Amino acid sequence: MKRVGLLLLLGLSYWAWQGRQALADFPGILSAYSAKEYCSCRFVMGFEPEYCQGYVKQWLALSLLEEDRQQRRVTAEGLGRRHQAAWQGPREGCRLLR
Amino acid sequence: MKALFVILALVTGCAWAEDWPQPDWPIDDANRDWQAVDAYAFPARPTRERTGIRTDALLIIRDGRILHERYTAPTTAATAHLTWSVSKSVLATVLGVAQGQGRFQLQDPVSRFYPPMRAHPDVRMADLLHWASGLDWQEDYEYAPLKSSVVAMLYSRGRADMAAYTAARGTAASPGQRFLYSSGDSNLLAAALRGMLGAEQYPEYPWHALFTPLGITSAVWERDQAGIYVGSSYLYLTARDLARIGLLMQRDGRWHGRQLLPEAWVAFNRTPFAQASAMAGEANPGGHWWLNQPLAGAPRPWPSAPADTYAALGHWGQALYVLPTQKLVIVRYADDRDGSYQHDELLRRVLAVLAGEGA
Repeated sequence: MKRVGLLLLLGLSYWAWQGRQALADFPGILSAYSAKEYCSCRFVMGFEPEYCQGYVKQWLALSLLEEDRQQRRVTAEGLGRRHQAAWQGPREGCRLLR
Repeated sequence: MKALFVILALVTGCAWAEDWPQPDWPIDDANRDWQAVDAYAFPARPTRERTGIRTDALLIIRDGRILHERYTAPTTAATAHLTWSVSKSVLATVLGVAQGQGRFQLQDPVSRFYPPMRAHPDVRMADLLHWASGLDWQEDYEYAPLKSSVVAMLYSRGRADMAAYTAARGTAASPGQRFLYSSGDSNLLAAALRGMLGAEQYPEYPWHALFTPLGITSAVWERDQAGIYVGSSYLYLTARDLARIGLLMQRDGRWHGRQLLPEAWVAFNRTPFAQASAMAGEANPGGHWWLNQPLAGAPRPWPSAPADTYAALGHWGQALYVLPTQKLVIVRYADDRDGSYQHDELLRRVLAVLAGEGA
């Protein structure tokens, strides 16, 4: 039993090492995706906030999804990471900041 | 002499009879029963779950006239809807104009226009257009977010400079030898276009080359932080404006009296990539467009549609279908979150409605 546990641990460690870059990136994707696509949903496609909240909803919940209507800027937070997207212009649409 | 007059009158008469969306689309209001099409495309939507077929827009045009048009709120005829990967085929159309202006040739190495591709000096423009750069890539949105190169490109490591992210990938195959669908390849094309034009001309170019001549006013095309168009994913158009690109393609690159896009370019778009292998139900890659033309030993991907059918296709069910023989252009926008929707079924039902009219 001990040996199986050890093998499992070794296997998991190998998997984590192999995918270390992807694992490190993963927590940021949810908030980046949500900020960018919510911004475009609202300020490019011109849909209402309620529709856009459903539109970007994923199986992992965000802790924050907030829009600044005046600045056309969106902040999303989830899995401990925060991202912002902002409208750039009538032809340029939205872009993630930083 | 009289005969000459008659011929001349016939020729000019035909030219006048051709319909163009100028300024807006003419409408053919003959009475047709679209019930079977609408029943498939617009089933009642469950209120809470985003499941099943969720069509936002359906626009059916024959020979320049609207036959049928329907939207699901909040999408309307005025909505510039996200096209996702339909953007790739529109980018190819912009590139076609550039090629017609002599700005590049299909066999040119990409590194000539985009220096970071010196790391992969044998990749040619044609290889990118066939999604055959050979660069290592994992194209998957929801199902494998950990491994997905496209998610990394759009939302994490690659988002600041998507072409540079792609050019820095390793090699998985020799260029031009293997079809490997890659949004990175499309963004390399968008970066190469900037190299041909220079930073001054580049931002205006899609409008100058394509959108304005076609009378497209709704286009929004988002860029990355490096200022490169996200050619893979982020073009927005109204359904009626996307259909203008469909009509340009249907008429082999001609817009009114002008050959905006070289006829040979459209032929390239519509030629199957010789190294591709058939995948059941999946359209075959051409030059950055998707073809119903069967590959050797395989059936047509969409058996109900003629073999010359081709399309621009995007995530969540976005589609622009062109059926040249039937002179049909069909735009479908959607919010499909599962695999319920079948291209073949929609095309089958549309063709059935028009069957009695020689279409």
